[in-house]
Amino acid sequence: MKVTAQPSGDTQTFLLDGELDASSAVVLDAELNKPELLSYKKILIDCQRLSYISSAGLGVFISHLQRLQDANVKLVFFNMQEKVFNVFEILGLDSLMNIVQTEQEAQAA
Amino acid sequence: MPKFSRSTWLLVLAALFWVALLLGTLGQGNAGIGPGVNWAHWLALAAQGGFAACVFIFARIQTGPLRGHNFLGTLRQLFWRALALTAGLLVVEGIAWLEPNTHTNRAVDYTIALALFIGLLSQTLYTWRALVSFRGGARLRREWLVFELLLGALLLFQLTTWVIPPPLRLVVYAAIGIFGIYLCGHQRWVAYLSTSQKTQAILLQLGILGFLVLFLLYLRQVQADPTLAAPAAQQSFLLLASFFAVVYAVAGLLVSLFNLPVADVYEQRRTEFMSLQQLSQVIQRGKTPQEIYQNLLNSIVQTLQADAAWLDPHFAEADGEEVTPITYQLSADAAGQLRDRLANPAAGPAHELVDNDLERSQLLQGLGLTGYGSLALLPLHNGGPHNFGTLVLLKMETESFEPDDLSVLHTFITQAALSLENLQLVREAQVSQRTQDELRIAALVQERLIPKQLPTDNWFEISTYAQAAKEVGGDFYDFLHLPGQKLAVLIGDVSGKGVTAAFHTAQMKGIFHALMQPNPLAKSDRQRFPDPHRFMVQANEALTHCLERSSFITAAFYLIDYQAGGFSFARAGHCHTLYYHSIKEEVSYFHTEGLGLGIIRNDNYGKHVKTQFWDYNPGDVMVIYTDGIVEARNAAGDEYGENRLREMLGECFYQSAEGINAYIRNDVQQFSLGQPLHDDQTLLVVKFKASQPQQ
Repeated sequence: MKVTAQPSGDTQTFLLDGELDASSAVVLDAELNKPELLSYKKILIDCQRLSYISSAGLGVFISHLQRLQDANVKLVFFNMQEKVFNVFEILGLDSLMNIVQTEQEAQAA
Repeated sequence: MPKFSRSTWLLVLAALFWVALLLGTLGQGNAGIGPGVNWAHWLALAAQGGFAACVFIFARIQTGPLRGHNFLGTLRQLFWRALALTAGLLVVEGIAWLEPNTHTNRAVDYTIALALFIGLLSQTLYTWRALVSFRGGARLRREWLVFELLLGALLLFQLTTWVIPPPLRLVVYAAIGIFGIYLCGHQRWVAYLSTSQKTQAILLQLGILGFLVLFLLYLRQVQADPTLAAPAAQQSFLLLASFFAVVYAVAGLLVSLFNLPVADVYEQRRTEFMSLQQLSQVIQRGKTPQEIYQNLLNSIVQTLQADAAWLDPHFAEADGEEVTPITYQLSADAAGQLRDRLANPAAGPAHELVDNDLERSQLLQGLGLTGYGSLALLPLHNGGPHNFGTLVLLKMETESFEPDDLSVLHTFITQAALSLENLQLVREAQVSQRTQDELRIAALVQERLIPKQLPTDNWFEISTYAQAAKEVGGDFYDFLHLPGQKLAVLIGDVSGKGVTAAFHTAQMKGIFHALMQPNPLAKSDRQRFPDPHRFMVQANEALTHCLERSSFITAAFYLIDYQAGGFSFARAGHCHTLYYHSIKEEVSYFHTEGLGLGIIRNDNYGKHVKTQFWDYNPGDVMVIYTDGIVEARNAAGDEYGENRLREMLGECFYQSAEGINAYIRNDVQQFSLGQPLHDDQTLLVVKFKASQPQQ
């Protein structure tokens, strides 16, 4: 699992590459925990190369959801593979999180 | 100008003195030359004294302490030198026999012979010194120094014309002689000889003794010549030195020949043995690591008579307690400095260091640890993977750590390391046993939480299957019969694994049973028990304060009213329910919305979960499961998936609940054959039957 940060203006984009399981969740959690993240207006998660997400991986997003909302930072997922989207959907996160098809939609969100 | 060493200067000086001695001796015979006999006599005295001093100091510098157990080599070296010197004497005597017997010739011969004799004496004396001081302490070294000083004082006395009164002289000579005899008692080296070595040593000593006697006989013969013989005072130095040389050789010979016991050698062996025995006893009693370290240090210090020692233990105590370093005759500061100086990361932790001449190597320079001659550093290990610390020993004398001292040390260390290793293994086993026990208890507790007695009724069949990936799991399910022919079914999955997850499953079970208590204030039967939506909202609220922020729980709750032939249910992020519709003969999933528990921790949760209703028909089958089933992987890494599960139910729906359950779980096991269980698996099958009259 590789996490790449691509800041651009008031938007921070994270590229997730690989499987987000219990061990890689720690890496992502450390990235999302950085205080400077709250200075961005929007955080985009590019899930194009995200092939699998475990409950620990979901837990990372869930645990940061409230914090980002309180700081008025938008969290948007895009380019999500169907298999991964299913996991979000089953857990009901699709109604809670902003998941869009393309990067353009994510930028506009 | 070339730079000469000290020894070279001494030899040059000795040669000059020899020339002066020759001139003096020549002068003694020819009273007519020069101012008179007194001049020549004094010159001969001074020159002989100077020559002897130079040659002895030269020998003192040349002969170092004994290295290892090279007694025979040392003796052999002395033998060849003595042989060469004696051969020189014989050549001189041969020439003297051939040439005309003039005073000049005699004087030259005599001075050469005297020089050879002094040379032999000096070599013998300092070889004996090496043997005497073998395994001797600082006290013996001081005694030897006194002996040397006494002999030197005698040499100085030769220069004075004052003649010591005979009775006093006798006392002085006797005292020095007895002192010499006392020193001759130090024959420890003989005990270290093997039988064959002993024979060689005896022969070599006999030879050396023979050469000495030859020289003495010659000197006794020339003493008859009044023009050559020096006064008694002049000979006393040579006399005592040769006395000592001869007595030591004879004593050594006797000790070797009759195998006389040398008490302190046996004493030392006994101490080694006793200490080792003591150490093993301590170890057998299974004391603490600190006690083993302390005993190791005590035993070694006692056996090797170390002057200072320091032991830096390395032992991980289970309860985090530290084993503290132990020092002997060394301050904690000094030990710390020593550690920094000796730390050699390049050599690795298991390196051994022996320095038998600290004055030369300057290893401890600038540390304030003065006066030490030898140092030994040994890692505490027995060849195994563990290093239990470092031992540093210091002794005042140089050449203190010989191979057999080190072998004694190794024996001690191996013994101690072995017991420390045992101790560590025992502790590790205890810790691991405790963890195992606790896990087993946790598994046992969880096992008890799983309903053993499945609800039975004429209206339905239930079959269950649950398999945890580890000792304890995060899946849970439960049933509860409610009054009025109702059945509550709960299934769920706590995110994460292990003990934490297992703890939350117990919590969910508690919440389930608490919420399913009949409400006494309810106005109607319907309100007596919470509907699925309310159940989820209340469970979410109950979990808000006890679930870690990154954890969540998925659950599905079913309230079956088999009197009415229908059920209501709610899904909180859990896997979709698989359903066989017997009238439509169709297998499908209930696709409903619902958010997992613990994700939103405020009043808004109610908006994200819904109650659904369904009327069932006899023959309908409901398959409830956790993601461990659909996410089971095969060798290629593919997931089992919802589609395959649906197909399976399509193949076996007509069987009993247990038959359907077995059919599906066999297929899952076939699919992931040879793969480790990644996640807990739970599979519940409910089959509704045609209504039958109550019995």
